[in-house]
Amino acid sequence: MADTAVRGGLARRAYALLLRPEASVIVVSAALVIYFEFANRNFLTGANVQTLSQFVAAPVIIACGEIMLLICREIDLSVGQVFALAPFLMENINDVGVPEPIAIVAALAVCALIGLVIGLITIGLRVPSFITTLGMLFLITGLTLTISRGYPANTSGGPLLTGIMGDWAYSEIVWALAIVAIMHIVLRHTRWGLHTIAIGGNIVASAEAGIAINRIKIGNFVLTSTLGGLTGLLEAFRVGSIDPLAGGSNIMFLGVASGVIGGTAIAGGAGTIIGGLVGGIMLGVMQDGFTLQGINAFTFDIIIGAAILIAMVANIHLARLRGSGQ
Amino acid sequence: MSEAIRAENLVKTFGHVTALNGVSMNVSRGETLGILGDNGAGKSTLIKILTGYHQPDSGQVYVDGEPVRLGSVDEARALGIECVYQDLALVNGLSIYHNMFLKRELLWGGPFGFLNHREMRRRAREALEEIGIAVSSVDLEVGQLSGGQRQAIAVARAVSSNARILLLDEPLAAMGAREARLIIDLIDRLRARGDIAIVMIAHNYAQTLEICDRIMLIQHGEVTYESRAGETSAEELLEIVRREYRAARSG
Repeated sequence: MADTAVRGGLARRAYALLLRPEASVIVVSAALVIYFEFANRNFLTGANVQTLSQFVAAPVIIACGEIMLLICREIDLSVGQVFALAPFLMENINDVGVPEPIAIVAALAVCALIGLVIGLITIGLRVPSFITTLGMLFLITGLTLTISRGYPANTSGGPLLTGIMGDWAYSEIVWALAIVAIMHIVLRHTRWGLHTIAIGGNIVASAEAGIAINRIKIGNFVLTSTLGGLTGLLEAFRVGSIDPLAGGSNIMFLGVASGVIGGTAIAGGAGTIIGGLVGGIMLGVMQDGFTLQGINAFTFDIIIGAAILIAMVANIHLARLRGSGQ
Repeated sequence: MSEAIRAENLVKTFGHVTALNGVSMNVSRGETLGILGDNGAGKSTLIKILTGYHQPDSGQVYVDGEPVRLGSVDEARALGIECVYQDLALVNGLSIYHNMFLKRELLWGGPFGFLNHREMRRRAREALEEIGIAVSSVDLEVGQLSGGQRQAIAVARAVSSNARILLLDEPLAAMGAREARLIIDLIDRLRARGDIAIVMIAHNYAQTLEICDRIMLIQHGEVTYESRAGETSAEELLEIVRREYRAARSG
């Protein structure tokens, strides 16, 4: 009796593991990699893996913030604009004689402040974050254009610093993986993460239990804006120039899509950072693979859009299967 | 049996409405008191005063014989008073053991304060075993459990956080016979421990008479009837309710 219960438990665990959204996305990504490798011998070469890692890194870092927000039932639409603003902040601070490393920290501090403002407006004035950050999206775009006067600029800084911050071929993916590791631990192994999930799952029960709901939501806004700014800096150093129209809604949606493809619930209460990583890898593999195939840019958007839809529909139905699996 | 909580002459008005008009009650450790009454009779107001959510206009509450002021939910909780609501208490997306330790998480020592999942699992299993609740794993998400199991987990959480005066708000509402049996057995076991006083609010006369040691009927903010469960019947209660209802209509 006990023995069958144990074996039943193991089988059920294996079944539950397979039904996890991350697992299905990994399977699909692996299938895509195999397909692209057969269709195009250049896919798994060193040069392309490097390109691929650069496709993946930025959306994954953005996803780490958005996943935390989505889980506690908020969203930040303006993170792509903070992405564009951060390098200009850094350059302007650097221009008045502040050393580059300190300018980087100062720029990130301003990004954190933007997140704080978003959080305070959303929580304090009870504006849905969708609206708050939609407003911030335009506001920050205007700010960036004003600061830059609409012109691109070049990044400065010594070789070591630019290397660490994105110039070295793999530095951005190393940053991304490090942030994924840290945020995974925050979400799964700290009270902060647990309470973020609890707030999204049942805000009344969380308040009853005495969780500091506002503090956690505001903190996650600060986190997301800061990560958005950091991603903007990394991309700026990688490309070597900064563009007032970089990032934008495109990078924000890629981040959100990575999270949702990886199983983060738009309605809150559930999600994983690892899911965001595999979601980002899947999007990157498709983007890179179809580009290598030489698929027409118009067709490409159709394929990506359809793939995102299929992944999300699959996840919703897998979640249902998981729920009824008891 | 020692008296756990006693309320004397509680009065509470909301604007022109008198929700409670001099209600007194008491319950001892190892005893279950059932409070019956229609919607709007004042049951919820009474519970909310006992959990510190509302403060009475007049009247006094005693815990273990000492007069207390229940100024907030936290103050009531600190005195061991906890209310278990059927649907509001748990987070569906989290596991059983995370729910049982929500906001009271156990941490590893050290500067980072990482969650000690292993110890929380172990203690959650122990706490559930102690009050006789069977689940296949404490890692199950609460959303995958039945209504009765969820209610049982919520009760277990209250008991393991040292609640000794348990208020159960409609613990059997919307439950099938098997589910209800799970909760009725749980209430019996908690009563048998002897250190917990239980107050339950209910609608179903027959069920409440079966579960409780004593019952109290609240109508239009007053206690209209009180009896030991064995000395009355659902029919008698129904007759009292009818009589009061007719009197209220003609008066």
